[in-house]
Amino acid sequence: MKYKSHRIAMNFFTFAVLLFLVQVLVGLIAAGQFIKPDFFIISFNIIRTLHINALVVWLLCGLMGATYYVVVEETEGELWNLPLAHFQFWATAIATILVVIGYIVMGLNPQANKWVFGTLILNEGRTYIEAPRWADCLIALSAILFLFNNVMTIIKSKKITGIQGTLIGGMVFLTLMYLPGMVYIKSMVKDQFWWWWVVHLWVEGAWEVIAGALLAFMLLKVTNAPRHVLERWMYIEVFLVLFTGILGIGHHYYWIGTPPYWLWIGAIFSSLEPVPLLVMVWDAFRTTRENRIINNRIGLFLSVAHAIFNFVGAGLWGVIHTLPQVNKWTHGTQITNAHGHLAFYGAYVLLIVAIIYIAVPNIKGLKDFNTDRAYKAFWWMTVSMILMVLTLTGAGMVQVYMERLMGVDYVVVKEHYNYWFWVFRAFFGVGFLIGVGLLVLDYFTMGNLPVRKGASNIRTTASA
Amino acid sequence: MENNGYRNLFIFGSLACFAILIALTVNTFGKLDQRAEPITEEVNAGKMVWHKYDCIGCHTILGNGSYFAPDMTKIASRIPKSYLKKFLMDPKKTNAHATMPKLGITAEEADQLIVFLDWISKVDTNGWPPKPIMTVTAGNVADAYTKYQCADCHSISGVGGTSGPDLSHEASIHPDADWQLRHLTDPASVVADSAMTPFPDMSQEERTQIVNFLLTLK
Repeated sequence: MKYKSHRIAMNFFTFAVLLFLVQVLVGLIAAGQFIKPDFFIISFNIIRTLHINALVVWLLCGLMGATYYVVVEETEGELWNLPLAHFQFWATAIATILVVIGYIVMGLNPQANKWVFGTLILNEGRTYIEAPRWADCLIALSAILFLFNNVMTIIKSKKITGIQGTLIGGMVFLTLMYLPGMVYIKSMVKDQFWWWWVVHLWVEGAWEVIAGALLAFMLLKVTNAPRHVLERWMYIEVFLVLFTGILGIGHHYYWIGTPPYWLWIGAIFSSLEPVPLLVMVWDAFRTTRENRIINNRIGLFLSVAHAIFNFVGAGLWGVIHTLPQVNKWTHGTQITNAHGHLAFYGAYVLLIVAIIYIAVPNIKGLKDFNTDRAYKAFWWMTVSMILMVLTLTGAGMVQVYMERLMGVDYVVVKEHYNYWFWVFRAFFGVGFLIGVGLLVLDYFTMGNLPVRKGASNIRTTASA
Repeated sequence: MENNGYRNLFIFGSLACFAILIALTVNTFGKLDQRAEPITEEVNAGKMVWHKYDCIGCHTILGNGSYFAPDMTKIASRIPKSYLKKFLMDPKKTNAHATMPKLGITAEEADQLIVFLDWISKVDTNGWPPKPIMTVTAGNVADAYTKYQCADCHSISGVGGTSGPDLSHEASIHPDADWQLRHLTDPASVVADSAMTPFPDMSQEERTQIVNFLLTLK
């Protein structure tokens, strides 16, 4: 380990991959509940809460680990305050575990979720941001300590790079956008208005800015592309992300009781949201084409895969139902669900997996290493996810046609016409779990297996 | 520093977009209250119940939430409130096919939740959810069956709601016309603890029309 500070990044990555495994395990329970609702001791709402919260927290931990790693690499020195970083990691991990215990308690006894001083003690009952207020405060504190430590590190080193600045900017934006979710509002319309500030401005704003910065960093690390070219494109991408994404929030304000002018704003800006994601794909391919010497092939492979599936999942699967004329029929159906799965997988799961395969070998000091299992994990996960998303898209099309257009009852469509879609989804879910299992195994054993002849992770010749 | 122009485009361009969002937010908040009924303490109490049981973990509301159970935006405008109350307190006892577990919702909480659901059903949502454009019907139903929106709760040959019993073979299950008449007049008098709402405004002629129709469903 070149820097002691890398231990922090490793801790976050380890916690992230373990939570990823938990997320997919509970996801499989949820998939089973679509087929047989009563089969598990905890009901669907709590299983889903666990599935989604595990996702959000492990991605955040992955992003924090990535940021600590990038800041140390870019400033070429230790973190400003190492014990503070350790404290921040353990506080985050312990708070997460406490929140999870709270959810499970509520799952076993719904009455345990009581109102105390105007807040719910175990679960706020608001998708994605269910974490109770006391946990919100801990999360905000953790984010502030994290930002403070990284900013101080940069200031101390006097080396501020474009990548680092953009990454920290994205992290500040992310932290600020957590705050609108921390107030109780009596109107459900206003509640959902602010809720979308958190959810949308995270996943289609701050997180995509972070993804843009990390993509530039990853391409810089695995190829010998010139920094100024990567940073220039990064600025263009992240500008376009926010130019389309900030007002693209309008596509969530079509039907929640907000004025009709949002139909126009949402339609225009959110239709443009795939553009920056397409530029990222082009950027990744251009960099790969122009720089044939690669010091980490799996890292580059995953970076490009992230760019492609970010565009397909978040971009294409989003734009198909973003116009109000379409969304009027598809809003709140399995189409949204399909989009959610592919978008999170492409945009963020693959992003964290890619940064792990770039950071961890470097932290462990591996020059070359066996990547067979990494590719196997990637293909198991990716093929399973694509099939699962196609299944959910099919279920969504049946639902839109039968329930929304023909007026057949929701329950009838779900229980009869979509039954086999749920079975297939669970089946592909098992495939995904196998992929995640391989990934976690490979994470802990990276570098243990000898490099197979002809399967080097490094490409040194420009001719290949 | 050759990228300064691009960097500034990112920083100031993004801040400008965010400033527009804030301006629109202020404008929107000035309009929201006219697009919904006033929020009473009861409505708020119902919203608190909604959050307490993490209803959104299975249901959507205003189309947002989870896709495991039906959307709740317009539920209070379609399903009788007396049924909703019984269902919320003990779903499976009220509807044998229900998936929803018994959460321990009290009578008071159920009342509050229904007030909240009633409030949300009156929010101006720009016409969402839209009315189906290819509406299917279960053959030639009686006019009164349509008038009293029986299909909101009951289904015939797969068409209609799932809150009440399926009527596809009602004539074989309850062939007695007198039983049917008494049931329509006062459901609880023939089915103990019936969750069906009585229809006091229904004329005798309309009752007979519905009963005659039901008795064709062998």
